Order: sequence, then C-alpha cells, then structure tokens
Amino acid sequence: MRRLLGGGAAAAERRMELALRALAVGVLVVIAGIAITVFSKAWPSFAHNGLAWFGGGGDVDTQLHAMIAGPKDPANYVYHFRAWPLIWATILTSGLAVIFGMAISILAAVFVVELAPAPVKRVIDPVIRLLAGVPSVVYGLVGLLAIAPLVEHNLISKQRKQSVEYVVQLTGENLSVATLILTVMIVPIMVAIIAGALESVPAAWTEGSSALGVNRWRTTWRVSLRTVRPAIVAAAVLATARALGEAIMLAMVAGSRGFAPNPLDGLTFFFEPVRPLAATIVHYVEDLNIVPVQQTLYAMAAVLLVSCALLSLGGWAAKQPMKRYGIQA
Amino acid sequence: MRTNRTLTVSLIVALTLAVPAVAGARALLIDGSTSVFPLMTQLAAAYHKATKEPTPKVTQGTSDVGVSDAAAGRVDIGDVSRNPEEGDPKGLVFTKIARDGVCMITNPKNPIANLNQQTVQAIFTGNVREWSEVPGAKISGPIDLVDHIASSGTQAAFQDIFLGEALKISPSAEAEESNGLVQNKVKTDEDAIGFVSFAFTSGDNAVGYQGIPCTLQNAKSGQYQGVRNFWMVTKGAPKGAAKKFIEWVTSSKNATARKIIGSEWIAIH
Repeated sequence: MRRLLGGGAAAAERRMELALRALAVGVLVVIAGIAITVFSKAWPSFAHNGLAWFGGGGDVDTQLHAMIAGPKDPANYVYHFRAWPLIWATILTSGLAVIFGMAISILAAVFVVELAPAPVKRVIDPVIRLLAGVPSVVYGLVGLLAIAPLVEHNLISKQRKQSVEYVVQLTGENLSVATLILTVMIVPIMVAIIAGALESVPAAWTEGSSALGVNRWRTTWRVSLRTVRPAIVAAAVLATARALGEAIMLAMVAGSRGFAPNPLDGLTFFFEPVRPLAATIVHYVEDLNIVPVQQTLYAMAAVLLVSCALLSLGGWAAKQPMKRYGIQA
Repeated sequence: MRTNRTLTVSLIVALTLAVPAVAGARALLIDGSTSVFPLMTQLAAAYHKATKEPTPKVTQGTSDVGVSDAAAGRVDIGDVSRNPEEGDPKGLVFTKIARDGVCMITNPKNPIANLNQQTVQAIFTGNVREWSEVPGAKISGPIDLVDHIASSGTQAAFQDIFLGEALKISPSAEAEESNGLVQNKVKTDEDAIGFVSFAFTSGDNAVGYQGIPCTLQNAKSGQYQGVRNFWMVTKGAPKGAAKKFIEWVTSSKNATARKIIGSEWIAIH
C-alpha cells in the first residue's frame, strides 16, 4: 500500500516537473519567436540602408513622411532612413536619467537604511515601492500638463528661442523635461534594490569597521556601499532597461521631433526637442499599414532588443570582478 | 464531482445560447478620425435613443486608421475627415455625412483676427518664423508651429485647402497625435499657431482666413473657405446594421441628426 502511494506521489511529482519544464521551454520559444519576427521584418530596412542606417543625415521625420507618401508597389518602396537623431536621443535621455538617478538613489538608499529614524523609514519604504509601480502614462500626463508649461514659461526665454528658430523650435516638451521625468520614474526602482542590498550587509562588517575607530560616513562609503556594488550594477541595468523601453511618457513630453540636440549649443542643448526610438514607434504606430514604415519601425524595435540584450550581458560582466568582495544580488 | 460537472455543462449550454443572442444585437464598431469623433459619439447616442438599436461603439485613431481598419474589416464603419485618396485600399465606399470648418488657432494672448493665404503659406512652410513679420500679430518673437501627425485627416485637409499641392508644412513643426493635443498645446504656448477642426477651437483664438472670420455661421453660408468633408467609410456598399445607421445619419427627414450636425458642423442632406 505504502509503495503504491509512494509511486503515485512520485508520478504526480514527475508530471508537475514536466509541466513546469514545458512552461519554461514555452517562454523561451515565445521569446525566440518574437526575436525572429522582429529581425525578419526589420531586414528590408537594414538591407536598403546598410550601416548608414545608424548614421546621421537629413531629417528622420521627412524620411518617414516620404515613406508614407511613397509608391505603394513593393518594387518601388522608399526605404531611405538615417536613424542617428533617434539613437542619440535614446542615449541622451536614458544615459542622463541613469547618471542622475544613480547619484540620487545611492544617497537616498543610504539615508533610508543607515540614517532614517524608524518612523520615517516605516513611511518611506512603502512609498518607494508604490512610486516604483506608478504607470508611466501618469508621469507623462503630469509632465505634459504641469511641468512642460512651467519650463516653457519660466526657463525658455524668447531670445533663446530666437537664437535657434531657423533650426528647431524650443517648447516646454524637451530633453530636460524628458530627462527629469525619466529620472523620477527610475529612481524608486534603484532605491528599492540598493536599499534592499544595504540591509543585507552583515552587521559584523560595519561593526568591525566602527570598532576600528572609522567614522560612520566612511564606514558606509568604504564598507557598506563597496559591498553592495553588484546590487548597484543590477539596479543600473534594470533602470536603463526601463528607460530604454519607455515609450508613451517620452512620446508625450520629449518634444515629438526627431531632432538631434547639439551639445555645442550650450544651455540651449537641454531645451531642444528629442524623440527616442521607443517613442518614435508610438508616434508612427498609426501608419503601420504602410509597409516600409512598418519595416522601419521593426528595425527600431530590433535595435532596442539588441541594446537590452547587450545591457544584460554588460551588467553580468561588470558584476563578475566584484563578486569576491560582496554579497550576491 | 457530479455537481461540478452539472455546473460546467449548464455553463456551456448557457454560453452557447447567449452567444447568438449577443451577436444578433452586436453594437456597430466605428473607428477613425479624432475630428469626426465628437460628432459621431453624439450621433451614436441619439441613434440608440431614437431606434433602440445598441449604441455604436466609437473609438478614435486618425483618418488613415479609419480607412485601413474599415478595409481590413476590423470595424464596420471608418470615420474619415479628408477626401478619398489615390493610395486608399480598393473597394471602399465613402459616404459623405457632413462638412466641417478647419480653423487656424493661436493663443488668446495673440488674438490675430485674420490671415490671408500668402501669409498662411509663409508661416506654415517655415519661411516666416517671427510674429513681428506677421501682419496683425499682437506679440513678437518666434513662431511655434503645431502640426498633426502624418496619418491625420485634418492635416491632409489643411494641406489641400490652405497650402495646395506644391507646399509642405515645415518639418520643424511639432506634430501632435490629435485635435485635442493641438488645442492644448496652443492654449499653453503663447507663440504657437496650429489648426484644428471647428469643434476644438474653444479656449484658443480662432483666426479668420481671407478676411472671413472662422465661425460656424460663415462656414455654413459658404463664405469661409476652410471647409472640408466628413465621410463614413465602409468595405463595399454599406449593408445590415451599418447601412441602417448611415441611412439614419444621412436622411434629410431626420431632424435629430440634422440638429446635432448643425450644432457645430454643417449638415449637407
């Protein structure tokens, strides 16, 4: 009897294992399917432009409009496209937001874990978790209706607008507002990850440091933060992935212009409009039934896919040498 | 176990019976232009009230979305606010339902009364970029152009009526996804000029064209030239429930529909 029962339980366990394995394989198959679809649909756009696809030259919106207005027979499709302004915008918005966000969230996490009195911590912890889950379209709405007009009326002077009026128009929706809101969006995620890691630093290490007469700030800086470096890298990778893929919020507040801001413009640089890759896909989604536009959008999606894959790989590689000091994250 | 099975069976039976009942009274699906949307939602509600048919479900995209969704059979009727174009899919039937004024709008702090064709063309092609060079402007400084995205019917209509074949709106213009976003943009930016369907001018200054103020009255009388057509598009000639709705909208005997159309648009039937 007992053997029979045991046999039944083992069979059930085995069925369960098979089912889970099938699910895991299924997820992999779906991901592979998405990658294959994206790359095969994107191919004509890359094939017609070659490596110049990634380069600059001309106006991306004019090029996309030429595709929309172009001939409808496959032999004469217009494919000319130079994506650099969009790629540059993606690098700028994500890069700046992650750099600012990193500084803010490391300091914030140190405060939450090391300095905040218990009642404050009890409030801050759930608030951070709540902020990390706010849908990005909410941030977009606040940015569009509250922050963009503020920036437009108070920070952008008529002289500044006039200085570049033959190149680009400056309005409240621009690089600085996009970066600001993106930073606000990714900071809670980074704080949550870094604070979680700081909490798991063994007390003996920090106590040992204090016992040697090292002050609190130096202990935090040289022991705690050094220990959690893998977690900081993980936080940066996750935040960059979210920033890269953010579409709807950036489509709302970044300026809706495929323009490449020029750092040589000085302060004006921060007020120039941008439109990162993901936001561009949203912007042109209503022209999807035009084949070359569709293929070009797929090409942008392919670039985003590859960037995210490289990002994970880079994060993994960056964590390797740190592993021997710290705790796992 | 037995009760479970009974429950399942009765559920399945109930579902199979319910599906045809629901399908018989399925609401019409309508999609397309944001310009036509305010009119269509009012018509849909009035249609339900008058005929007890289910209220047609109206969503908004752009005119090109209306055309492609109707052609693909994703919706029963597409709303289009531009004239039929050469590139539109074959086999679509366009039914004209109303006419609509396209107004240029500026911020209330810059209440321009009128622009002539030459000035409009100079502004929107980007040849003139300073308000000080625009006759009648009440502010000085750079002009912020607000355009619609490429699939917009309002954009196509503006292009046809105000600019003509040869001229294009300057690519430096900021392109918004809908009439409402253009309206909001111009409301918050005092340097801005944009163009919207007449129903979206509130809160902004409507600019006259060729000496005629952009008012509903002037559009109805035919004096104001910035007027375009609203269409309902079906795949093949309208039939069934779609036909019933379109006939209700276009019937000259239908006082309710005439009244709704006449409130902010121009009735043609």
